Amino acid sequence: MSNCTLRWIGDQALSVEFENEISIQVNQKVRSLRHALERKALPGVGELVPTYRALMIHYDPLRADLDALTAAIDDATAHPDTDELPKAIVTEIPVLYEGEYALDLEEIARLENRTVEDIIRIHSQSDYYVYMLGFSPGHPYTARFENPFSFKRRSEPRVRIPGGSIVVQLALSDIIPFDQPCGWNIIGTTPILACDYRRENPFLLQAGQWIRHVPIDRAEFLDIRRQVELGEYRCRQYERGKQ
Amino acid sequence: MGFLVENPGVLTTVQDEGRYGYERFGMSPSGPMDSRAFHIANILVGNPWGESALEVTVLGPSLRFDGDAIIALTGANMSPRLNGAPCPMYRALTVKAGDLLQLGAARQGCRGYIAVSGGLDVPLVMGSRSTALKNRVGGFQGRKLEKGDHLSFRSPAKPPVHPELRAAPIPAPQEKEVLIRVIPGPQDDAFTREGLECFFSRSYTVSRDSDRMGCRLEGPVIAHKTDGNIISDGIVAGSIQVPTSGQPIIMLAERQTTGGYTKIATVITVDLPIVGQCKAGDTIRFQAVTVPEAHRLLREQDKELRALQARLDSPSCPASPSFYRITVNGKVYELSVQRV
Repeated sequence: MSNCTLRWIGDQALSVEFENEISIQVNQKVRSLRHALERKALPGVGELVPTYRALMIHYDPLRADLDALTAAIDDATAHPDTDELPKAIVTEIPVLYEGEYALDLEEIARLENRTVEDIIRIHSQSDYYVYMLGFSPGHPYTARFENPFSFKRRSEPRVRIPGGSIVVQLALSDIIPFDQPCGWNIIGTTPILACDYRRENPFLLQAGQWIRHVPIDRAEFLDIRRQVELGEYRCRQYERGKQ
Repeated sequence: MGFLVENPGVLTTVQDEGRYGYERFGMSPSGPMDSRAFHIANILVGNPWGESALEVTVLGPSLRFDGDAIIALTGANMSPRLNGAPCPMYRALTVKAGDLLQLGAARQGCRGYIAVSGGLDVPLVMGSRSTALKNRVGGFQGRKLEKGDHLSFRSPAKPPVHPELRAAPIPAPQEKEVLIRVIPGPQDDAFTREGLECFFSRSYTVSRDSDRMGCRLEGPVIAHKTDGNIISDGIVAGSIQVPTSGQPIIMLAERQTTGGYTKIATVITVDLPIVGQCKAGDTIRFQAVTVPEAHRLLREQDKELRALQARLDSPSCPASPSFYRITVNGKVYELSVQRV
């Protein structure tokens, strides 16, 4: 039985909130509820938007049966079925940790009192979990479950950083899909696109998946970028634990 | 066949019902800011309600047609002229190749709609023709219209038979101060009692920084119990964020899909068009209503639009009333004329 609260969000959505914390255990409850409702495919129930600890359920008030919807929510949260969750997919994100593509790498090494090589190894040695997508199209909020770094945000946010930047603080690491303002440190740059409107499904990642950063050199970066421009590059993906 | 943009106005974009189904990937739907006026414009020209049309803002465009079309103008009154002569809003108009449609500055309201029978020929991106300005995708090349752009019509599935008889009542002009109904929450418990009282009793002024993403308000500070931060969760159209500054922001068509600020309330669906018509300097007061009441109002509005459509599409359409707005000695009169 999950500990959750149902809230009415305006007149076209409901939010089911679980414990008020950021943890994979809580996020898996959100995921489990999302998949239970997706399988039920109730008429008039629209998009199901997962965040860290809550699921936003959009409905059409002119079509949805709200009693059936709330009953389905009660049922799914009373008997969460984690076996039915989709497999844990890991997507490899190639990253160039070098020069103008890694503006803050040396500062990060100084802050952590480690070598640049250490920082790259630490950032790329374990998987990050994708809690949710938001802020801009295809933008993942990812984290891991130990604290690889102790530094936080920069004191002065940058007005604009380029799309493709990989930014970090504490246990968090985000892929920036498009140019945007940002206060985090830039550890590297990926040549792949987290959102590419030319693709039938423009979005590389989904909530509940994992990513793994893979160091590449400048020649590989340019080669992958060329393939991405031609729409020919596919990121390596595999089931977690079955690499 | 279509039209040439001779003057783009301040912000003219192609919008349809919106790009739904991608919020979980961080993509907001976009779509019209005044969905009611947008739907009526489409109904008038015989389109599906969500067909692509132009949304025009504050100062409208000038369009030169190079093909015949049936169009309708709704929303903010921008003193439209066809070939130099004033032309009516809220009714279907037949335009011919060579005609010039000119819109001026909004006399009231902020956003107007120009629907064309058949809709506009821009590519579907992820199932929608809406322009997402912030994400630079959809609509006409992912951007607002510029001088020299040419847009083509799509051919109507079933053009209306008696365009000259298709008219809708002209809504009363929106006041400078409006009452917006909201459902409290989801984080109304993050505010002090005084903070909540302030939000529900004082008036808030629409800031110059408002856009299709959000309507930023300025007014008495709404006090939090601690601060305005939460673990990021979902945002819907009409979510009213109150960051630690205590100044509310109503999230609209091009909102972010998630956010980490407390949300004091959500604007009910039928009142979102009113927010969409507010311009800088207008003021808003908020009033709490219940979810069942909001649903009742939405069903009522839906019924009203369906009735309009049924009336226009019925074979006895010639018997339906025509609506006129006339000005006599500077006073505006609204008339409805019906055959008896």
